[in-house]
Amino acid sequence: MLRAIYLVLGLAVVGSGALGEYRGWFLSRPAQLQNVPKSIRDNPGAWRSLYANSPRTFGGK
Amino acid sequence: MVGETTGLNCRTCGAAIDLRGLTHTRTVVCSSCGTIQDPHDPTVRILQEAWARMRITPTIPIGTRGTVDGHRYDVIGFQYRTIEVEGETYGWNEYVLFNPYYGFKYLSEYDGHWNLVTPLQALPEMAPGRTSAARYAGKRFRHFQSADAATAYVLGEFPWRVRAGDVVHTADYVAPPEMLSAERTEEETTWSHGRYVDGRDIWTMFKMPGSAPRARGIFADQPSPWAGRTGRFWRGFTVLALVLLVVMGLRFATASRKPIFAGAYSFRPGTGEPSFVTEPFAVEGSRPTTVEVAFDTNLSNNWTYFNVALVSMDSGSALDFGKEVSYYFGRDSDGNWTEGSRRGAVRIPSVDPGSYYLRVEPETDARSRTAVNYQLTVREDVPTWWPYLVILGLLAVPPVLVTMRAASFETKRWQESDHAG
Repeated sequence: MLRAIYLVLGLAVVGSGALGEYRGWFLSRPAQLQNVPKSIRDNPGAWRSLYANSPRTFGGK
Repeated sequence: MVGETTGLNCRTCGAAIDLRGLTHTRTVVCSSCGTIQDPHDPTVRILQEAWARMRITPTIPIGTRGTVDGHRYDVIGFQYRTIEVEGETYGWNEYVLFNPYYGFKYLSEYDGHWNLVTPLQALPEMAPGRTSAARYAGKRFRHFQSADAATAYVLGEFPWRVRAGDVVHTADYVAPPEMLSAERTEEETTWSHGRYVDGRDIWTMFKMPGSAPRARGIFADQPSPWAGRTGRFWRGFTVLALVLLVVMGLRFATASRKPIFAGAYSFRPGTGEPSFVTEPFAVEGSRPTTVEVAFDTNLSNNWTYFNVALVSMDSGSALDFGKEVSYYFGRDSDGNWTEGSRRGAVRIPSVDPGSYYLRVEPETDARSRTAVNYQLTVREDVPTWWPYLVILGLLAVPPVLVTMRAASFETKRWQESDHAG
């Protein structure tokens, strides 16, 4: 009985998990900004990303 | 025929004693005064008089009739036996069951655990190996415990000459729900086969009033409720894992990964405005899809951070994200080393179909004078593998739990043995 429940629930997990991957439920969604000015196409530098100009410290070994 | 009795009177107290074991009875114990007597001696010889002041009441009274393996048996004798392990005394009850056609069987009772015991006619084979084991009827029985068992109290009839204080060396071997027991004296070794029986079944067999005492702890040959389940659950896991593999295979085989934009760019810090926008491109189809934005660079001991906005030309909204790409390499006392990757990618879920463009603003080390060349590629309908790994992990949880419970049960069982770690 327990095994039957496990199999049924397992199939549900496989099904919903596969659907979730297909629909992108597992990926984090980037920040969404509304009303981006159309002028951005003519002057990209007039608009800054949320993450622009934050301190970067990258380096090798 | 079953249940016919003959009788005699106790020589000590005169109480009437019923004899149920007919001519098989070698010893009878007066239930009134505890005197042990020989019913075959015409003078009713006293073997041992009122040897114990203690009185133990059998859980199943002497004279109770029950149905065991389809045959009627009378409870004709009772003894309380003890062993001493590491200075602690453990005791259990044993009942003598008798049917004039099928002979004797025995019942053992310990803390609510019951075993139906039958004397063996054939000798078990001692199996070779590091751990002592016996083989009987095609089964391997692992050695569980050896001890000296003393008879502390007797009541009723016995097919052997019993005395309080009798000591035999016992060795138990288990293959749950069965047990082999050897009892050795200087004269002989007798083997018996025990089968674990649930207390409720004993109550049914002997039509006992009330309910069976609750079993405490785990007995040597008590069947594990998890034993069969472990294999069944892992077989179920295998089936589900195969289904998952097929689903994953289908997903990866059918995902289009279609490139919807590609462009080659170069960036050198300190040479004007770094941000730019791409040409528009279309996310096709009729449903939201996963879009991957990938950067393939020529980085060499350097880093670049790409600030990116995926801007919808239809709604005017933007998804704002960033991606660091860094790649370093060198050589030191450990040899050659590398760190990072020249490639980086971001996956954006649930992007609606429509027209989009990217605003890209790369950053790099301001001291760098080397141009960063990179290829920017946008693909739609890109599958992700790691959710399948998460699903596989979730599927493994129940069988792992069952396996742990089974292992815990066995650990508790063997903690009571001579082989406890």
